[in-house]
Amino acid sequence: MNFRRGFKLSAVILGGALLLTSCGTPSQKYGSDSKDGVYFAVPNSWNQISSKDLASQEALSTVAGSSERLALVRYQVAYSPDPKIKAKDVLTLNTPDTPIVYARVRGLTDSEIQQVSYNDLRNLILPLTTWEDGTASSIPVYNVITDQEAVQKGGRGVHTVFAFTNNGVSQTINQTGLLSNDHRTLVMFVVRCSTVCYNKNKTEIEKAVASLTDRGTK
Amino acid sequence: MSLEAIEKDMQPNRPRDSDRKTRVHLPLFDRIKFFLLFILVFVILVWAAMANDPILKFHDAVINELNARWWLIALFVVEAVRQIHFGLAETLAPYHGGWVRYFAFVERQVARIGDWNRYRLSRLIKVLLFVVLLAVILGAIYKEAPVTALFMAPKALWSALPLLGQLAFAVFFIIIQFGAMFWFLSRGGIDTYFPDDIRTRFSDVWGQDHVLNRIRENLLFLESPEEIEKHGGYVPGGILLWGPPGTGKTLMAESMAGETGKPFVFVDPGAFNAMFFGVGVLKVKSLFRKLRKLALRYGGVVVFFDEADSLGNRGAAVGGGQGSFATRSPFLANACNGANFLSPNAASLVVRKAMSRGQEGFVANTAMAGGGGGMGTLQALLTELSGLKKPKGFFNRIVRRTLGLRPKNPPKYRILVVMATNLPEALDEALLRPGRIDRMYRVGYPSKAGRVRTYQGYLAKVSNSLTPEEIEKLAVITPYATGAIIKDTINEALILAIREGRTSITFADVIKAKQLKELGPAEDVEYIERERHAVAVHEACHGVMAYLVRHHMAIDLATIEKGSNYLGMVASIPPDDQFTRWRSEYEADILVSLASLAGERMFFQGDNSSGVSGDLESATTIASFMEGHWGMGSTVSSHASNRRFEVGAPGGGKPQGDDNKAVKGMLADRIEGNLEGLLNKAEEILALNRGKVLSLAHALEIHKTISGEDVTAVMTGEVGPLVDGRPYQDPAKIEEIERYHEAALRAHQGHQRPEISIPIF
Repeated sequence: MNFRRGFKLSAVILGGALLLTSCGTPSQKYGSDSKDGVYFAVPNSWNQISSKDLASQEALSTVAGSSERLALVRYQVAYSPDPKIKAKDVLTLNTPDTPIVYARVRGLTDSEIQQVSYNDLRNLILPLTTWEDGTASSIPVYNVITDQEAVQKGGRGVHTVFAFTNNGVSQTINQTGLLSNDHRTLVMFVVRCSTVCYNKNKTEIEKAVASLTDRGTK
Repeated sequence: MSLEAIEKDMQPNRPRDSDRKTRVHLPLFDRIKFFLLFILVFVILVWAAMANDPILKFHDAVINELNARWWLIALFVVEAVRQIHFGLAETLAPYHGGWVRYFAFVERQVARIGDWNRYRLSRLIKVLLFVVLLAVILGAIYKEAPVTALFMAPKALWSALPLLGQLAFAVFFIIIQFGAMFWFLSRGGIDTYFPDDIRTRFSDVWGQDHVLNRIRENLLFLESPEEIEKHGGYVPGGILLWGPPGTGKTLMAESMAGETGKPFVFVDPGAFNAMFFGVGVLKVKSLFRKLRKLALRYGGVVVFFDEADSLGNRGAAVGGGQGSFATRSPFLANACNGANFLSPNAASLVVRKAMSRGQEGFVANTAMAGGGGGMGTLQALLTELSGLKKPKGFFNRIVRRTLGLRPKNPPKYRILVVMATNLPEALDEALLRPGRIDRMYRVGYPSKAGRVRTYQGYLAKVSNSLTPEEIEKLAVITPYATGAIIKDTINEALILAIREGRTSITFADVIKAKQLKELGPAEDVEYIERERHAVAVHEACHGVMAYLVRHHMAIDLATIEKGSNYLGMVASIPPDDQFTRWRSEYEADILVSLASLAGERMFFQGDNSSGVSGDLESATTIASFMEGHWGMGSTVSSHASNRRFEVGAPGGGKPQGDDNKAVKGMLADRIEGNLEGLLNKAEEILALNRGKVLSLAHALEIHKTISGEDVTAVMTGEVGPLVDGRPYQDPAKIEEIERYHEAALRAHQGHQRPEISIPIF
């Protein structure tokens, strides 16, 4: 009978819907700056450090020009599996025992637009190129694992993985610096961890790095 | 069959809602439609999320959206609960019954509030709901608490004002364009004359004194309405002047404009024709606004619609329907008193039959419907003529009412509507009802006295040598001459005089002009002698017969000069204004027509020309009407009615076979019989007057065109204006003419020239 069929059908629909809602959590956490077309994903279990915390932490910096740069930040967010990791841990070079993902999109100043180069993108966190050519005053123990050009739809830059010794502990940094096609926006995606931890979490870290997508401004 | 069996056989009635124990089962689609809708919305949301994030996986997108769109889940659950409720109500009678009782209870509670209060309450709730919904939406837009967002909205509205202003401007721009266009389109076609603008007076209208007197009376009422109003009457509001063209209707209106001390508004026939629908209505409204203004300022106004038939009518279908035509009787064709003497039913029957036959002379059939200035124009005119007397003016209606005063009714506008038409049948009957057009005057052909006055009037404007007797004679020989025709004839006479180097016109000029106007210019064809003689004999037969038997008409002229569509003619005119026709007169007409055939056969030894065809046609037509229509034959019943009702001809019962043919056959036999009798009579008369016929033919051959007096001169042996009739009394001369005729006859038979030429006296 028709109405029996209706009953069954609605029951199926209802059941399906309930199943969908109950059966899970998303596999990943998605970070996105849709205005600049930057997307990435980290494992779902990782915790987010909010951009607000990061901004207030960065505001404490005394480095020259840091406040100007902060003003140009359009998007920044950090993730870590360890809930104890705070914004302060993200923005210092202390070697963490747990992976920290730090993504940041900011506009460049006029002078930066004029002179930005691939080497600048390599030197996002540490002056890697001065270590390479030996012009740095103090050079730590380091080795570059990967250094290759990264090309995406929204921009191009350099993907570098290197390890260095900081206070006797080896830390691996997987960094991607992308310059937008109009040279006005810098996309920075950094994952770092002690080398031991890095190797342990390599799959997840590389998956997160691979998820970085720059579609460019819409 | 037992009662139970009958009951069993009967289809059960579809149960009433109150008779049902359970709820009606919902169709499948109704059961799942909201679920499908929600699923569709959800799919769209997931799709949008995935489109927004290129690395987002479907599974994650679904879960994210499920978490984010909790309200959709809530709606889903509500719908599920509803469906479960319906499901229970469809299967469990107690459950359904409980709810039905509950709703009945609620209904009773609600019904305790009055209908009006309930309406107001529901309106209030709707407004509140709208405000709440608006607050929620604004909250979502501003990302604020809904109440805060509601207070932010006016600011947004303020900032949007320039845009709204632009939109409003665009709208008003279009409206103003249309308004201006229609305003300009509704101008024109209406001229206003103020007293003393026009010099025409009643004394310039000749020959229509009876109508003029009535118009003068109307103008008097317009100028001093108290005369009639203080006794409880009212001023007639409209006059219709109708009659044949050229009889002076427009001139009469012009003289009204000249005579009256009130403004005179002239409406063009085409004033209400407009390219756009509705402009005609606007024109009527603006016309009457103007009329009211003028009426108030000058104490009265006359408005004249020339060629009022251009206003059109709404036709039988749209108008009063069947039977409504009884009121048209004043214009029924052909009858001495229309159908006025009939009862309304009988009149409408006659009219409808006439219409269905498309009878000639009855113009107002449905083909005329919807003519005139366009749909709505006539109706607008009707309401303006006698519509609601509503208060007018912004101050009167709005301000007075705001202050709690009653609006004042408008004063009496003294507007005299005058319409002129030569197609009164084309007017809408609603236009002619009392209260709109109260008085209808026929402006007919001028009387003889009127024609004399008209001739005198126009002749006074030119130099002429006509005596009063000649003018009198002119009036006699131009029975249907209207003012326009007389004016034209005098002008033509003046042109003829000027071409001959004279500045003063004579009687001969006027006669020549009249012939020129009536017959057209002669073609100046020279007949060969034997044909000239034949034509002369033909016309002489007509002439002699007309002189002898047709006493109700006087011969105007006889001619054998070939015109555009005749070889020669004998033209007659009624000497007096005559309104009835008699059997003896029609018989005389037929005798005159048949005289040509009888004469040709007699003088040409049985031969006759095709030139008699027109004569026979008119003779047969008159004879048919006499026999079938006018009761001048051997039977009484009207053939027209017989044919319409297919009752057959009188005598001999209902014919078999083709009824129509049989009726016609019998009728034709009777007509033929009558005509034969009259032909024999014509032959007898002509045989007795053989000498007169040949004499008149001789005079025609000599002079080509002679006047009626010349014909008389030949017949009586007097001296006419052109022809000396005395020789035709001399038997020797007649003998001479007879010899010439013999020669012409031989020439006719041998197709050669006659041996002797025509004798000259």
